[in-house]
Amino acid sequence: MGSYDLVDVEVTHESADDLLDSLSEDGAEEDHLQSIQAVRLQAGQPDSELRSLKELDENSVKLLEHQVDAAYRALFEMDGKALLADEVGLGKTIEVGMILKEMHFRETDESVLILTPAQLAKQWQAELQEKFGLEFVCNYDDEFEDFDTHDYIIASIDTAKSERHRQTVLDRDWDVLVLDEAHYVKNEETDRYDLIDRLSYNYAFFLTATPIQNELTDLYNVVSLLRPGLFGTRDVFHQYFVNSNQETLVNRDELQDRLNKVMIRNRREDTDIDFTDRTIDTRTFDPTQKERELYQAVSDYVKGAYSQDQGQKLVLMLLQKEVVSSPVALKETIEKRLHEQSELTHADELESILDLIEEIDTVTKQERLLDIVEEARDTVEMGRVIVFTQFRATQRQVLDRLASEGYTVHAFHGGHSSSEKEQIVEDFEEEGGILVSTDAMSEGRNLQFCNLLVNLDLSWNPMRVEQRIGRVHRIGQKRDVFVFNMALKDTVEEYVLERLYHKIDLFQQSVGELSSILSRLEESGTSFEDQIFERLVNAGSEVDLENDFDAMAVDLQEQRELADKLEEFNNGVFEGFDLGESDD
Amino acid sequence: MTDEALAVTQSVVEDFSERYLESLGGTIETRGDTWEVTIQDNGDTELPAGSLSLLCGAGRDDDSTGEPLHPESEVFQRILREAAERRPTGKISIEADQDDVVIPQWIKQGDVEVREIQFTPYYDRTAIVVLFEVSIETVSEYQQELLRAIAIDHRSEQRLPALEETFLQMTSIPTNSSPTTTEFSLSRSDARSLLGTAQDQLMQSIQNEIDEVHNEASRAADAEVEEYRQLQQQRIQELEEERSKLSSKIDELSEAINSSDQNDRVEALKKRKEAKAEYEEVDSELRTLHERRDQGFPQKQEEIRKRHALDIRVTPLTVTQVEYERGELDIELVEQGVSRTVTLGYGSGIGTTDTVQCSSCDSVLSVDNPLKRVKGSLQCRACSSSNE
Repeated sequence: MGSYDLVDVEVTHESADDLLDSLSEDGAEEDHLQSIQAVRLQAGQPDSELRSLKELDENSVKLLEHQVDAAYRALFEMDGKALLADEVGLGKTIEVGMILKEMHFRETDESVLILTPAQLAKQWQAELQEKFGLEFVCNYDDEFEDFDTHDYIIASIDTAKSERHRQTVLDRDWDVLVLDEAHYVKNEETDRYDLIDRLSYNYAFFLTATPIQNELTDLYNVVSLLRPGLFGTRDVFHQYFVNSNQETLVNRDELQDRLNKVMIRNRREDTDIDFTDRTIDTRTFDPTQKERELYQAVSDYVKGAYSQDQGQKLVLMLLQKEVVSSPVALKETIEKRLHEQSELTHADELESILDLIEEIDTVTKQERLLDIVEEARDTVEMGRVIVFTQFRATQRQVLDRLASEGYTVHAFHGGHSSSEKEQIVEDFEEEGGILVSTDAMSEGRNLQFCNLLVNLDLSWNPMRVEQRIGRVHRIGQKRDVFVFNMALKDTVEEYVLERLYHKIDLFQQSVGELSSILSRLEESGTSFEDQIFERLVNAGSEVDLENDFDAMAVDLQEQRELADKLEEFNNGVFEGFDLGESDD
Repeated sequence: MTDEALAVTQSVVEDFSERYLESLGGTIETRGDTWEVTIQDNGDTELPAGSLSLLCGAGRDDDSTGEPLHPESEVFQRILREAAERRPTGKISIEADQDDVVIPQWIKQGDVEVREIQFTPYYDRTAIVVLFEVSIETVSEYQQELLRAIAIDHRSEQRLPALEETFLQMTSIPTNSSPTTTEFSLSRSDARSLLGTAQDQLMQSIQNEIDEVHNEASRAADAEVEEYRQLQQQRIQELEEERSKLSSKIDELSEAINSSDQNDRVEALKKRKEAKAEYEEVDSELRTLHERRDQGFPQKQEEIRKRHALDIRVTPLTVTQVEYERGELDIELVEQGVSRTVTLGYGSGIGTTDTVQCSSCDSVLSVDNPLKRVKGSLQCRACSSSNE
């Protein structure tokens, strides 16, 4: 690959005077052996072992061998600059968590910046906190001020590169940079690439399951950011490693040697992950006439109010979600709203919705829930069922209803202290019965002892849905998992479930797979939830609405296919490469 | 970790610390995982005089009091620092013990039986072994630290690789028999001269490692120069386009000047003047860029080259005078009832110093082509099998 004599070699021989001076010093002669041994011991350090591992709480995180190996190699064999390119679903976040935990233990992490796609920032924050006890500030937190005011920051890459923050981010010398979904910086002509290129850091960990997006140059760009010069120049890389039609790699052994210095790629087939089956049972129920009227009234209200004032989007979205969760949840929000805002333009409409709520005596979903838990009482160990709802009011009502029917119930929500939460999970395991939980159930909690889960209502954020399931269907679950989804016919929930979630086979995807689908979709900047809401309020007719959701499903389907294709392509390219666990 | 470095395990930490503390005149009372250490105030150490509790091993509890003693603990680091600086020069002797005589591989691997060996030392020889720390650093790679031992014979100034091995074995932890160290007896000037030779030999021995880092650094620098060159080429293209646009604009304005009325003409003249100034500016930047490109951007190249330069620092950490014996080794070999004695030059700690050739083909006997026959003459495996 050409001759390289571009750089000089400067050799400095340190003076031996001090050493020779010791010839004339007095002292015990036998100490010389100790001096030799001390020098040899000093060279034997630092010992390279993951010393923080024993500090981790086994209940919060179960580490797999390939993850520990990856963290070890990234830290000690790659000197803290690595591209973690495991296939999706193998836990790259865990690998980074371990790395950061170890650096924290060794106090080499005074400032850490984690850059992620916007929709994953909060998830990163929660995982690092729950699984590794690492506290990070996220740029979406109220307490976040700027990039020079906190030392441990998780931010969306687009926030970091924005005009407002860019200079502050660049002015700082970061100890550690973590870049999630690193393939988004593949293009050297983008602001994102430019930002990473200019950032100053000592250690860097880039994550992607698909280092190659379109062409092999992507690999060159991502790797060159981490280890400039590893592949030589762009031209040399092309001439030497890529055949002319851009599709295959040549000189693979040499490329593998070089990639091995910076990239770790574990394949699913090489790991010992073995998931049990997951059965999804979606049940749609006919609402009562009164529930139907209520749903219609709320939907009309939301539509009308949004067309007049888009600033109320969040609360309107909330109402639309609550109406399918439970009338009581809806009632609380409306009352609060009437109470807080004295000059409401639509107060009368809200009042009439309250009247409709009062008229409801049968809450269909809750009645049907009884069927499911009754069935479970006989078929599932200790009748253990987890019921998820997004709303505290719904949770309270469901708990009351179940308790009145004689079931053992447990409540879990964000208001509990962490020791209380532990106690609740313990009680649930020992006593069995039904755990009714909000989405505050932490990811780290070990609930593998339960294998039946009910989604009483569904988040419009598919990641949330998968996270719920992931708490039960995770590594270590020995039984098949059953998931019941409950929805009312002709409601937004039915659309979301039938048209979107089932189309992309959401309930069978792992968080990793989903994030790769969603991050592609959300590249445009609108979140999944927003897209659902916009379609809902902007549709002119029922038919329009159906068509709109179908269009969104087609988009999703396409993204899913693209994501699959990409993974297949990357697997093809790296086939035969041993970039996982090192042999020695 | 290099070969010369010792693995820092908990048992090594405890073994070394115990010996060091005792060599300071301290006493250690062991109670489970806790050491109660008493150190006298003799000025030889910065460790606090008086009593000190050290907690070793995995049984450290959060509620136990005392200083932890493990590979990364502060106490152990301090012990290492002190011990390393305490006596960096000294002398060890390697005495010839008949039991420890090393039989050359070309005999061991062969089919001939060794009946008896006898080493007769004739004279003492002196060598030095230097432990060097080498740090190799460059901007694109990470700092590499090497620890290397180099042995140089005092009289011949030849490198003695076998003695380096022996030295490392003798100073490992744990050792079966720790060597006794005495006072360094070579003169300062002799020591300095041998150190110089050792340095030269060291540089030769680590050339491969340096070359590897050098190649990588050069590649990184090359990539950077190339990127810069491409960037400038892009800039040249932009400027050329800009210049051509300005040139057309000037032509258009010139035409306008000729064909328009007074007011427009003045306006066009003004504009042409501005365009010409702009043209000059672009043209001048282009000329400079062309010139720099034709010369290969020497300044930038120099800057990049400097930044990627390898900085190698060599620090001698300890110098050990090694006394060893040289003499002759008689080895009685037996094959099919025929015995034959071979006499070889030999040194304690360095092994045999002579090579032996096959009497048939003259090739040097080695581990790959060992001794096969002694009847009549010494014959290698290759020759004896071709005769069979």
